[in-house]
Amino acid sequence: MAEVRIQSVIKQFGDVKAVNDFNASIADGEFVSILGPSGCGKTTMLRMVAGFERPTSGEIYIGDRLISSGSNGIFVPPEKRNIGMVFQSYAVWPHMSVFDNIAYPLKIKKASKAELTERTNKALGLVHLEGYGNRFPHQLSGGQQQRVALARALVGEPRLLLLDEPLSNLDAKLRESMRFEIKDLQKKLNITVIYVTHDQAEAMAMSDRIVVMNQGVIQQIDKPVNIYENPVNQVVADFIGLVNFIPADVTPDAIRMPSLGYTLSQSSSFTGKALASVRPEHITMAKQGSGLKGVLSHKFYLGDSTDCRVKIGDEMIRVIDKAGSYQDYPDGQTVYLQFNKVSIFPQ
Amino acid sequence: MVKGIISRLDAKWLVILAAVSVLVIFVVVPMVFLVINSFIVDGAVDFSNYRAVYSKIINWTALLNTFKLSLLVMILSLIISFPLAWLVGRTNLPAKGFFRTTFVATYMIPPYVGAIAWTQLLNPSVGFVNTLLVHWFNLSASPFNIYSMGGLVWVLTLFYSPFAFITISRALEKMDPTLEEAARISGASPLRALFDVTLPLMFPSILAGGLLVFIAAGSCFGIPSIVGMPAQIEVLTTRIVTYVYMGDSKGIRDATALAVSLMLVANSILFFMTMMLGKKDYVTIGGKSTRPNIVDLGGWKWLAVGVAAAYGLVTVFMPIASILVSSLIKSYSQPVTLSNLTFSNWLPVIESAQYIIPIKNSFITATIAATVSTIIALFVSYLVVKTKVKGRTVPDVLSILGGATPSVVIALALIITFSGKFGLNLYSTLAILVVGYMVKYLTMAVRTISASLSQVHTSLEEAALNSGASWLRTCKDILLPLVAPSIVAGWFLVFMPSFYELTMSIILYGSKTKTIGVLLYELQTYADPQNASVLSVLVLVIVLVGNLIIRKLTKGNVGI
Repeated sequence: MAEVRIQSVIKQFGDVKAVNDFNASIADGEFVSILGPSGCGKTTMLRMVAGFERPTSGEIYIGDRLISSGSNGIFVPPEKRNIGMVFQSYAVWPHMSVFDNIAYPLKIKKASKAELTERTNKALGLVHLEGYGNRFPHQLSGGQQQRVALARALVGEPRLLLLDEPLSNLDAKLRESMRFEIKDLQKKLNITVIYVTHDQAEAMAMSDRIVVMNQGVIQQIDKPVNIYENPVNQVVADFIGLVNFIPADVTPDAIRMPSLGYTLSQSSSFTGKALASVRPEHITMAKQGSGLKGVLSHKFYLGDSTDCRVKIGDEMIRVIDKAGSYQDYPDGQTVYLQFNKVSIFPQ
Repeated sequence: MVKGIISRLDAKWLVILAAVSVLVIFVVVPMVFLVINSFIVDGAVDFSNYRAVYSKIINWTALLNTFKLSLLVMILSLIISFPLAWLVGRTNLPAKGFFRTTFVATYMIPPYVGAIAWTQLLNPSVGFVNTLLVHWFNLSASPFNIYSMGGLVWVLTLFYSPFAFITISRALEKMDPTLEEAARISGASPLRALFDVTLPLMFPSILAGGLLVFIAAGSCFGIPSIVGMPAQIEVLTTRIVTYVYMGDSKGIRDATALAVSLMLVANSILFFMTMMLGKKDYVTIGGKSTRPNIVDLGGWKWLAVGVAAAYGLVTVFMPIASILVSSLIKSYSQPVTLSNLTFSNWLPVIESAQYIIPIKNSFITATIAATVSTIIALFVSYLVVKTKVKGRTVPDVLSILGGATPSVVIALALIITFSGKFGLNLYSTLAILVVGYMVKYLTMAVRTISASLSQVHTSLEEAALNSGASWLRTCKDILLPLVAPSIVAGWFLVFMPSFYELTMSIILYGSKTKTIGVLLYELQTYADPQNASVLSVLVLVIVLVGNLIIRKLTKGNVGI
């Protein structure tokens, strides 16, 4: 069973807490992403699971085995953890052929020659690199090197696969297709995956659950849909997707937004100063009708959507439409906005 | 408009052409002439000098000694340098910056000064270390004798292992640490990862570092002549100088035969190295700069510090302290106490013309060599870094060739070429010294300046041209100010080794053009070791100041 339990893990570099009180349980066969801006501590957390960093305090379990403990000094070195890992730089060894790269973990385990060949060839097939075994890394494209790294991580049939921003060096198209391939492989092999990324689309597309981190602290752990639809705080709302933040006063039955001169009837358990957050695609716009009156300042045609800026008082509200309904709205058009979904973050 | 472009090209190409011609005249011509001259006499092919040289057993012994020494020094240097480079580059060794500087410090001490220091420390009868050990452990005889093959290997290793240390350190820094981590996560122990990944990846650099040491040790004259000659251990360089010192044309011819042999070996190693490195230089720079996987030494940390500190103490502190004490001591037979120290040895050095003139000569020649080299280096660097001309690397390669050629060979080539045969007689002048220093050390300035120039994006230059500035004006207003620190650093990198140069000077000097290196060598060998120490202190101070300036200017990136 390769469930991963991370308990109260803290990693301190000098005075800086790179990871601060990280708690998470990852189920067997689950795909969990750690998502956050660069420097948020996500890679450090992953490297602690891999065994390249030691936690200052806290415990990490893989299955029932305690592999790292800050307090009593238990530390299983990386080579004894039976983990597969794909590095951002691929870390494909330039002095070994593709075959030798992938076979390396089996060679270390002293697998028989027949078994080594069979399993390595199977791994080559898994990542669609049949026939590339004799090539050397410098003869491969970035995407192919990526596949070699993936095959090497999988060949030993690890209980747990760690991926450290594996797609960030690929071009946009390849990145998208690799997402699905990695997800496919994970389902096929039914292994536990911890995937570190700063790309929210990647995390959304692949993960069963996402851990959103900021400045070393976990902000939210949830399914992608909940992270997007119900962010627990301003940081998550801001980092995931696009958002309009508007200062608000909240009463039990209404949200007042003074800068817009607008009051929305919505019951709320919280009262007081808050930040109202509205996603641009949760706003609809009409030439006539009721709602919040503003002026369409300008719009950007993006092919699959139209990105509009509406000026109301001193605020600029962003409205995104995917249906193409606003194609004929000229700049300067008076428009009426409806907020369809508003989240409240107490200040 | 068209006229503007033409004049711009003219200025540019004129200066570049001038720089290239200087290199051809002073690097290519003498070397080609040396080779030709070694087997053609009065227009006829004549190998008699080779026959003469290689029929003497002493030259075969010298050849064998050179090979043996170079090989031993190379192996020992690698054995010492790899762990040190690894400690500094990959572990949590405390005070890394200090140790890094310490491990390369012998690189900036003139080799013959080091040799003098070690003869003081390990002289079989009065060496400081020997006396101490005999005293401490009640020994019946001195445990060490510097005047031996072992002593020679020891001193050569201390002074040339920094080549290996620097090369290996750079390769370690350049290597993506995740390559090692990938091995660890694949199940390899740290030691296994070292042998399966780190060492194979570093092999080209390790070999390159080793071969640099091999060439340097084999080309060295100062150390073998000071440490080896008293023990009758001859090497190629000492044989060559002996032949030159015979003073007749036969001596020169025999020296030439040996010099060509030495040059062939040294330059073919260089050629082989370039070819191999060009092919096998793995691109191992990762996508993002991950924190290098720092190995926690744990309890071994303080042992590592102890070893590193002891190495620094023995290799850097002890020789310098020895030189300093020797320059101040009244009587060698008395223990080193304050009452046994005096500055009176220093007076003649400051007063007598016998000392002042060589010091002045060295200052003048080193200053001119450094200044001219810096100017040429500017154009050579510009050509290499900023232009796309075919053959733009030729002057750079020539400067590397000069730097890689053994000093005795350069000196001999210059003597043969510039003693009037081509209407240019520089024999026994300061000018021939200047030329020698330039040929040997120009590459230092080129390396420094081109590294800095490549940091200046071409668009900065284009923006100035676009604003209406001429090419020369652009150089003056944009390029020069931006690379100014590297120009000064490059100047010092030529000045310092020129100032204390020994090997070429001892062949090229005349009665009025003695240099500090020659004077020091003469004092040490024939007359007055104590005053040699005084002069050595002077040289060390100048080298130290120069290095501090370079470090300050380049923020620690460059230094001898």
